Amino acid sequence: MSLITLIPLFPLLGFLINGIGFRKVPNSLVGIIGSAAALASFACALSLFLNFSGTPQLVHVFDWITVGKLNIAMSFQIDQLSLLMLLIITGVGSLIHIYSIGYMHHDEGFGKFFAFLNLFLFFMLLLVMGSNYVVMFIGWEGVGLCSYLLIGFWNKNVNYGAAARKAFIMNRIGDLGFLLGIFLIIAHFGSVEYADVFGKVAEGGYLSGDKTLVAITLLLFVGAMGKSAQIPLYTWLPDAMAGPTPVSALIHAATMVTAGIYMIIRSNIMYSLAPETLEVVAWVGLATAVFAASIGLFQNDIKKVLAYSTVSQLGYMFMGLGVMAYSSSFFHVMTHAFFKALLFLGAGSVIHAMSDEQDIRSMGGLRKKLPITFITFLIATIAISGIPPFAGFFSKDEILAHVYEHNKLMWAFGLLGSIMTSFYMFRLLFLTFFGEFRGTKEQEHHLHESPLTMTAPLMVLAVLSAIAGFFNLPHIFGGHAGLAEFMAPLFAHSHVETAEVSESTEIMLMVISVVAALASAIVAYVIYVSKKAVPAADGAESGLQKVIYNKYYIDELYDAVFVKPISALSTFFHDVIDFLGIDLIVESIGKLVKTLSAEARLLQNGTTGFYLFAMVLSIVALLAWGLQGFFF
Amino acid sequence: MNAIIALSLSGIASLFLGFSTNRKNLLITTLLFVLVALGLNLADWNHEYFWFNNMLKTDNLSINFSSVILLSTALVVAISRSFGDDEEHTHPAEYYAIMLFAAAGALMMVTYENMIMLFVGLEILSVSMYILTGSDKRNLRSNEAALKYFLMGAFATGILLFGVALVYGATGSFNIHGIGEVVSRTKKGMELFEGGVILYAGIILIFIGLLFKVSAAPFHFWTPDVYEGAPTIFTTFMSTVVKTAGVAAMYRLLSISFPAVYGLWGNPLVWITCLTLIVGNITAVYQQSFKRMLAYSSISHAGYLLITILAKTPNTNGSILFYSLAYSIATISAFAVLMIVSENKPKDGKPDESFEALNGLSVNNPFLAFVLTVSMLSLAGIPLTAGFFGKFFIFTDAFSNVSPLFKNILVVAILMSAVGVYYYFKPIIAVYMKKGEIAEIQLPLIYKITLIITTALTIILGIAPDLVKNMF
Amino acid sequence: MNFWYFLTALTLLSALMVVFAKNPIHSVLYLVFTFFCISGHYVLLNAQFLMAVNIIVYAGAIMVLFLFVIMMLDLRKNVPESKSNLTKLAGAVLGGTLLVVFIAATRHMNLGNGSGAIGAQTGMVESLGMILYKDYLLPFELVSVLFFVAMVGAVMLGKREAGERNF
Repeated sequence: MSLITLIPLFPLLGFLINGIGFRKVPNSLVGIIGSAAALASFACALSLFLNFSGTPQLVHVFDWITVGKLNIAMSFQIDQLSLLMLLIITGVGSLIHIYSIGYMHHDEGFGKFFAFLNLFLFFMLLLVMGSNYVVMFIGWEGVGLCSYLLIGFWNKNVNYGAAARKAFIMNRIGDLGFLLGIFLIIAHFGSVEYADVFGKVAEGGYLSGDKTLVAITLLLFVGAMGKSAQIPLYTWLPDAMAGPTPVSALIHAATMVTAGIYMIIRSNIMYSLAPETLEVVAWVGLATAVFAASIGLFQNDIKKVLAYSTVSQLGYMFMGLGVMAYSSSFFHVMTHAFFKALLFLGAGSVIHAMSDEQDIRSMGGLRKKLPITFITFLIATIAISGIPPFAGFFSKDEILAHVYEHNKLMWAFGLLGSIMTSFYMFRLLFLTFFGEFRGTKEQEHHLHESPLTMTAPLMVLAVLSAIAGFFNLPHIFGGHAGLAEFMAPLFAHSHVETAEVSESTEIMLMVISVVAALASAIVAYVIYVSKKAVPAADGAESGLQKVIYNKYYIDELYDAVFVKPISALSTFFHDVIDFLGIDLIVESIGKLVKTLSAEARLLQNGTTGFYLFAMVLSIVALLAWGLQGFFF
Repeated sequence: MNAIIALSLSGIASLFLGFSTNRKNLLITTLLFVLVALGLNLADWNHEYFWFNNMLKTDNLSINFSSVILLSTALVVAISRSFGDDEEHTHPAEYYAIMLFAAAGALMMVTYENMIMLFVGLEILSVSMYILTGSDKRNLRSNEAALKYFLMGAFATGILLFGVALVYGATGSFNIHGIGEVVSRTKKGMELFEGGVILYAGIILIFIGLLFKVSAAPFHFWTPDVYEGAPTIFTTFMSTVVKTAGVAAMYRLLSISFPAVYGLWGNPLVWITCLTLIVGNITAVYQQSFKRMLAYSSISHAGYLLITILAKTPNTNGSILFYSLAYSIATISAFAVLMIVSENKPKDGKPDESFEALNGLSVNNPFLAFVLTVSMLSLAGIPLTAGFFGKFFIFTDAFSNVSPLFKNILVVAILMSAVGVYYYFKPIIAVYMKKGEIAEIQLPLIYKITLIITTALTIILGIAPDLVKNMF
Repeated sequence: MNFWYFLTALTLLSALMVVFAKNPIHSVLYLVFTFFCISGHYVLLNAQFLMAVNIIVYAGAIMVLFLFVIMMLDLRKNVPESKSNLTKLAGAVLGGTLLVVFIAATRHMNLGNGSGAIGAQTGMVESLGMILYKDYLLPFELVSVLFFVAMVGAVMLGKREAGERNF
């Protein structure tokens, strides 16, 4: 058994042990098994990464289904992209597993939680390791399932169950697109293996803008919109915050939601030949980035702010993909995984300390009580706001630089989004950690720094958030863009034709965005620290702020436009067509079969003589029929 | 071949083991015997051997069929629970011995090269089954079933033998490859072929003998009565081992001896197939007894298996094996649950085998309920179970056959699968939705392990069918 | 050839009498007679050993057993026929049709003018033994399994058990 097959096997084992042994395995062991499974996978992934030769490796596990000429194999492909994803997933995943030991240990579903977490890891690994679209789809559906299970983890709360359902259904819409895309690939290329499909695209002499490729890529992008929460399928992600905070960190920030980006980078050959799709991707990404950031400005729930921030950052990544800055987008995936996981875990630490209070209006002044959480949160905030030299600065500026080359207007909007990002993040930071404590006495009494199992992952992630930018240090800072160079073979066939940004422009862009980010941070400081403003209570907002606070009433809009008409239609179908049409037909067929059956049953009368009679009759009939030509 | 010898000898050995008073050891030893036979059987993998003057031929196909048969036998032995602890009226040593002999007969039926071996194998299997059917001596239903089975079986055997004689008369050979050669040599201008008439009559009569064994309509009449009357454990054996052996024997004969005269046997078989599917599925709908329903279900599955014999595509080997395996393990699961639940709730001193006996099973016995559900889903052919892919492969085979007749069969088969879903869901509904009182049933360890194996296999084959299909 | 026709007619006649005889003992006796006739056919086919075995085993051993059983169970009484006329008619028509089909089929059969393959030694014990113990060794041995199963079954089913009604 090679190292490669071991990687998904460990979490699967962990899931089986914790899942089957739920309530039987002692709690102290559950966390260790779960975390060990993740760590073992990480170790394997790391060793693969260190020994990676530069050529993709294919591992065939078993043939899954063979139908006619189409053979769908369960096989894995290890190349630059999947290796990097593996490291992020297992690395961040391990840290979050460890964190969960501290965060979840009071919960009665502790074992179940770890089982689901391991299962999620297993499916996520399948998703990125699979060597064909079908294996990716299995992983894709699997992580969706785990996401559903974990969002509704505290299923005694009806609202949480509703949130889980919403996530599941929204994803279903996307999955349908993805599935149709796969079908189109099968129909057009006759294979789902990446190697075959991309080989055919590279050698098939497809012109840029080929209709089939545009259709395939658009359909795949619909799948990505669902999973990666882009407009219009983004509303599930903020609701998904109903799940335990480590889940939000792992699934709804660092890994699962980036699956869409992974998929597009994986299919970059096709996307590069479909400029129409790329334009759509870029604009959808931009719209999501700005729109979600603006909603984030006035949210008061600590996790909601982070959720909208995630949606917005995902928008940036798609914008990058749309301008064919694949490696920059992936760079942002990586840095975002670090700092967003850190932010969520920090938020989790705060919530833990605040006895499950999530409203930032009731917080304040926590920096003295939670020093480690505060410092790590600060680092993450700086990183996400794009202030050098922390990670977010490098990745976001790379994307923005490419966008600038592509379209100046887009860049301007992107900059606006990044200003908002900086504002809402610092607003969150200031309201939570500065000023006076605004919660109840009881909460204040309880305040404590989290245990080491929780703070250690925070520190590791903080270090990564601080230095991750140097993995891909651009040339102007004397670096050699290591990540981009490493990933270059992935894009060898996709005719990426982005013009190099000149150095002076690049520096100019950087200065502009840094100044803008700092400025909005200062504004936030003035408002929320110097003036000690506290957001108004629910219902007291006015004007535009109220609209934004209510997320532009998008949920209500969807409800009015889609849900209500559909449920009216389904009532109609149920009452009229179902009752009068289908039921009548189906039931009469059923009755017919039953009647026939009652008749046929009578043939079975129990008399041996009759049975023999029937046999001989059949023999005569068969012989007479076959021999009719011989009779006379 | 070695497996046949091993089974014959171990059958005698297990009779001697009857002197021992410990019933549990007997079960373990018999299981061991079967597994040894399985091992010997697999040892010939990838070799083609002719045995004893072309009496038997083992190749990978026959080894695969033998493995399915031996696996089914092992599973049936494993759920036999040493036939209870009624010292007076049950004779486990004899039962096990007869089962081992029957398995030997079944192996002859899948490896035969000479018609005489087919006949001897078939007779060993049939005689064993007559005896086992009547083994519940004090139960009138069992006696009646045994007598019925014997009378009709003897009739069918006579017809088969007549057919063999006629084919010998037409071709001058007992050897199936020899027959095949003669047939294909003289195929052109069948009308002129002097043996044409007898050949046709011979083929049809052999057919009828075998169709009787696999209980295809209109030779199925014995099936419900016998299946219901026989003790459940032997019904399980009958519906798995006998069916697999019969289908394999038929497939061997048709694919080796008579492919050249497809037109001769293909047309009648089409009608028999459709009739089997219709009769099996439609009649099953009305049944109130779970056991009787499973009997009809076994008739309908014979119909599906006949489709793939008819389709004769290059994939037929794999499809037929996969289907036999999927059907066998699901059937064993279903009968095992039926057996243990019905004994738990006797009605008038006899096991209650109606659907009502299953009511509310899931409350205190979630494991049994789950096993039953998986097996029913598999038999109905619902995705993610082995049965789905079994049907899928068979329908694909039928679809890839260009003959327009196959479109008709396919329509019938698919309609009947839909009917099948109706009655296969009855037990599931009874188990989960009806109210009933069933206390927790204690399962012996080996019983539980067997159920876990069959259920896991059903699910694994339903998720990754190529895992097994590529072996075939 | 004429003798063959005579023997065949006798065989058919006695076989029919087996079915038509009202008294079971008569039936059995006719059956014994049928076996003798068939043995006669074996002689015509130059299969003396088969003839001897047929008489010893079937006519001798098995039929005597039959007789014993019938006498012990005292089946001489005429059991009134339970079958309706319709059933009888259907059975007769069906049997007749089967006969017609077979006759019609075999009418066109041309088996050639007998085969010269049958030599003087064909049916002798020696050549039979050679075939049985050389070519057909395996079925010969495996038939013993069949008999063994039948024996085990007969003993098992026939064994008297406690709690059973002993006549």
